[in-house]
Amino acid sequence: MGNTSDKIKIITKYEGMPNSRSLDTYLSKGGYEGLKKSFSMQPAQIIEEVKASGLRGRGGAGFPTGLKWSFVPQNIQGPKYLICNNDEGEPGTFKDRYIAELSPHMIVEGMIIAAKAIGACKGYIYTRYEFFEEIKWLEAAIQEAYKAGFLGKNILGSGFDFDLDHYTGAGAYICGEETGLISSLEGKKGQPKLKPPFPAVSGYLGRPTVVNNTETFAAVPWIMINGAAAHKAIGTEKSAGTKLFSISGAIKRPGVYELPLGYSFERFLNDDCGGMIEGRSLKACIPGGASAPILTPEELKGLTMDYEAIAAKGSMLGSGAVMIIDDRMSMVELMKVIADFYHHESCGQCTPCREGTGWLANIMGGIYHKEGQKGDVDKLWTVAKAMEGRTICALSDAAAMPTKAITKKFGDELRAFIERGAGA
Amino acid sequence: MSETINFKIDGQSVSVPKGTTVMQAAYQMKIKIPHFCWHPGLSVAGVCRFCLVKVEGRPKLEIACNLQASEGMEILTDTPEVKEAHKWALEFHLVNHPLDCPICDQAGECGLQNYYMEVGKYQSQMERPKVLKPKALDVGGDLVLDTERCILCSRCVRFEKEVTKSEALGIFDRGDHAIIGTYPGKKIEHKYTTNLVDICPVGAFTSKDFRFKQRVWFLKDKQSVCPGCSTGCSIDLFAKEQTGTYYRIKPREGESNGYWMCDTGRGMYRHLNIETRQRFHYVSKNGQKIDIDQKESLNQLASKIKEVGPEHVSLLVSAQYTNEEYEAFFDFFVGKLGVKKVYQWREPTEKLNDFDGILLRGDRNSNTHGLMATLKKYGVGNQKIGNEFDIAVSSAAKVVIALVPEIPATFPSLQSNLQTLVSLNFVSFWTVNSEIEKIKGAKHVVPVKGFSEKKGSFTNHFGKLGHLTSPFVSVIEGINCVASTTRKLSEYF
Repeated sequence: MGNTSDKIKIITKYEGMPNSRSLDTYLSKGGYEGLKKSFSMQPAQIIEEVKASGLRGRGGAGFPTGLKWSFVPQNIQGPKYLICNNDEGEPGTFKDRYIAELSPHMIVEGMIIAAKAIGACKGYIYTRYEFFEEIKWLEAAIQEAYKAGFLGKNILGSGFDFDLDHYTGAGAYICGEETGLISSLEGKKGQPKLKPPFPAVSGYLGRPTVVNNTETFAAVPWIMINGAAAHKAIGTEKSAGTKLFSISGAIKRPGVYELPLGYSFERFLNDDCGGMIEGRSLKACIPGGASAPILTPEELKGLTMDYEAIAAKGSMLGSGAVMIIDDRMSMVELMKVIADFYHHESCGQCTPCREGTGWLANIMGGIYHKEGQKGDVDKLWTVAKAMEGRTICALSDAAAMPTKAITKKFGDELRAFIERGAGA
Repeated sequence: MSETINFKIDGQSVSVPKGTTVMQAAYQMKIKIPHFCWHPGLSVAGVCRFCLVKVEGRPKLEIACNLQASEGMEILTDTPEVKEAHKWALEFHLVNHPLDCPICDQAGECGLQNYYMEVGKYQSQMERPKVLKPKALDVGGDLVLDTERCILCSRCVRFEKEVTKSEALGIFDRGDHAIIGTYPGKKIEHKYTTNLVDICPVGAFTSKDFRFKQRVWFLKDKQSVCPGCSTGCSIDLFAKEQTGTYYRIKPREGESNGYWMCDTGRGMYRHLNIETRQRFHYVSKNGQKIDIDQKESLNQLASKIKEVGPEHVSLLVSAQYTNEEYEAFFDFFVGKLGVKKVYQWREPTEKLNDFDGILLRGDRNSNTHGLMATLKKYGVGNQKIGNEFDIAVSSAAKVVIALVPEIPATFPSLQSNLQTLVSLNFVSFWTVNSEIEKIKGAKHVVPVKGFSEKKGSFTNHFGKLGHLTSPFVSVIEGINCVASTTRKLSEYF
């Protein structure tokens, strides 16, 4: 299980401190020290350090962060861009807003270090517009950082220039997809772009661009200060470091928890979260946001919270949004909510997703409104299967994966509902 | 020199320049990979997800349109996995399609129908109510838009952005309620609107001009060249042979036009239909029009020329006839008879050097280059194009042979010109259209074939030949082109 040095706080270091968002508080516990350290390093060294730390993208896909940075061409003319994906939209996820609430400077610091590593001249924090408060806090942090000389021209006398702006999105789920986000930032309709070319080569305004999740940036300063080895020592062999988990459902203490990767699911649920609310029992769990395939209590036994262990069960760690489904929840309703969500959020470019998400929602609507047909559950699975792996971005898969899992694992419940509905 | 890539599609080896996509290579090799959104003349959108192919050694199917060929790559387009993917891609396209084929103009040449026969043939699994969207919208130009039939391939939007550089059209909303439409208060207003009908793979865009006129499977198409301006776009001309009625023109991929043509050119079939054609030879005597047969007609013309002598004959020639016709015409009149006075009949309002930046040129004659070259060869006529019509009229000879402009639509002054000519001494009008019939007192009229009914060539603006190789039978029996008419006339000398 690797090292699970219990409850180490990297991202939530400032939890419980008064005025935790202010620059002064942030500086009082080593804030911007990582930045200073990184300024004594060569860009390639920073990238190597992040690579060696084992840090993986915390937005959902878990792509190695240092590797992503290394794809950006180093010696080219013209601007490069850095974007913080703070468009937290995966249903069940509420961890990035917590970082903005707790330590917005940690995001800013992480971004400046990343900018130095890839040679970016300009960065944007892209936040969904529903995060009214978080937007204010982030903007305030940027202002403070400018005043303190951490942003702008000749940062800390290093000769390095980096400007950072905040951009408020309009709330579309698809703008959390990195190329959809770039389109939106460019002032276009928020639609993912065809790849290749990848953003590292041609991203924002056609220039090399790195997009990382908020939590990913927030982990960077700690790595700079404590070193790659210290980070690599936390968690498991392939899932290094800590992860924020936003857990919801009929449990005693829902909320955001920072846990070392590889942490026991049962311990998390029963000890940290206090277990199920009295009288409720665990029916299922969605371990990584709405697009992660649902897991049954059987599959949850002995599960550890890391990329590999959850993947081995046929699901994914995703954004770390753990949704606990209790015995009172109807799988018909859950499936309908999921189908409606992806139907509503599909950008409509790619045919399998545009028509498939609509079709799933259409069938689920029929079932929900007691017009279900006998073969509907199988059809949901068949349509979902045909939507997988065929589109520009992963939204189609995100709709297909939970649909396949629910119809396969809870198909009998859906079928029973259809039969009752038809008889009523 | 660009690098060459060798790879295989379905076992066939192919060499292409580096940067070529698998789809482009397949298109050149005439290997069919199903597609809706890809078009050789537009940027890659990669959204229909129909052109999925298997790349040996890679786990996922990939879209051929955005897949650059690389050395040694092996592409498979018809494995069971690929076929299943194609079938599903088609099924997704049909989920919310209204299937109103019986009343759809696209029926018979529709991508959805054609692919259904090739990759589909399944029982539809869609049993729920379909998404309803706006229908029969007038979006400007020649266009009627049915957003329910639309499969959102975005070809039209890309055409507008990339070819006409206009911004009236966009995709609004998202998901399965996304629709193609014009921005508020905007209409599609350029001169290339019917191209949207051509590139629309389904019946979303239909042509106001062609709508509900004919089922396409009753039409026969033949390759031709657009006579509407000096660009000389390659075209397919569509007619119903049984009735001899022309219905429409579509562009054919060609060197001078790429994949497109203008809306003005689309109308070049209208003057070919029988209602607007000159059908008989006739002469006027005492204000009375008398129909005569060809023999009598040419005999009378020959007698008139002999009577006045070639020195009193002049030729007034429009630049809308073929190189072969000019050759025969001038060979006889100038070469054999020794006629010296030759004038070009041109539209005074035309701005020869105008160009709209896409295809349409100010010179609305199909064969200005060809005519100039023939005049030069015979050493007659003015080598600079000016308004020679007035000179021709003022210096009128006793006999004028006039090759009347074929296409009234490109010649706004035609009626007034004809009126002027009728008042002259003796003018023999050789004409495709029947505009002369509207004017009383034409002394001699000879019907000739239109561009769709004869073989021959035009020399376009760039000096390239466009060949009229597969003519339709003439809608009027017993008439000849200018070349054969001239040869028949020469028999009387």
